[in-house]
Amino acid sequence: MIHAQARLRVVASLSALDEGDRITFPRLQEILGMTAGNLSVHLRKLETAGYVDITKTFSGRTPTTLVRLSRRGQLAFEEYTVAVRALLPPMST
Amino acid sequence: MSNLDEHPPAGPAETLRLIEEQRAAAIRGLAPHPMAFFGPWGLAWLLGFGVMFLRFGPDGRVFLPMPDWLPVVLLFVLLAAAAVASGVIAGRSYRHVYGRSAVQGAMYGLAWFIAFLGMGTTLGRFDSALSDADTGLLWATVAIGLTGSLHMAGGAIWRDRTLFGLGVWTIAINIVGTAIGSGWHSLVISLAGGGAMLVLGLVLWARTRAAT
Repeated sequence: MIHAQARLRVVASLSALDEGDRITFPRLQEILGMTAGNLSVHLRKLETAGYVDITKTFSGRTPTTLVRLSRRGQLAFEEYTVAVRALLPPMST
Repeated sequence: MSNLDEHPPAGPAETLRLIEEQRAAAIRGLAPHPMAFFGPWGLAWLLGFGVMFLRFGPDGRVFLPMPDWLPVVLLFVLLAAAAVASGVIAGRSYRHVYGRSAVQGAMYGLAWFIAFLGMGTTLGRFDSALSDADTGLLWATVAIGLTGSLHMAGGAIWRDRTLFGLGVWTIAINIVGTAIGSGWHSLVISLAGGGAMLVLGLVLWARTRAAT
């Protein structure tokens, strides 16, 4: 499920966060260069699969959506990256 | 929504490229511009200590006549400006990321402030026991030593080898400069400290651009 290009990009971006950090939806959107609607759809699919944690909270009085990879999502991403690497022909850098 | 979004990338090499590019883009998007810190601080040290050297040279030589308060005030102003600039930039670049890093960053920033506040309120006691030249050297030596130590601590906190290395370098030039004596210390710090930071910032910047 993370192999779809767009979702792979989302997961790859979230993997750049430090453990214990969560990023706001608009900032993630900014980094990915996606429309809000587009990102929303992908995040929902990733959340359904248990790969991202989405927290709706408040920053002062402003509602804020915070996102991060779940442990399961991290593992899935790592396993996926390892699997893809294994598919590379031996001569590739 | 484009159909392309739903497809996997074409092949493993392409996939890895996509992953690495996106990760790099995210890291770049979150991290401050390399010149954001090294620019203001490098310039502050290069100019501030440079002017100090020109007025208070080795063996009392004056290379550029000017009032004796000017180099100190200039240095102070440049350092304060660099502190404000880097504080603002640090705050902005990790904006909208919540969690552990925010706490680490805040504590680290506070550590700098309290450390220098402590230095500022304790060293003055020794001024009367020293010659003017040695007083200046004491303040400079302690301030630079504190800076190097905080860089090393920051490197350890974020496992950032560049920052740690900068800290080690700073301590090293401080030792050398202080051993050679006041007058020369300012020149060493100006060139090997300020100059080095500017070069480091430019190198890091060039590297991030090359990675795109």
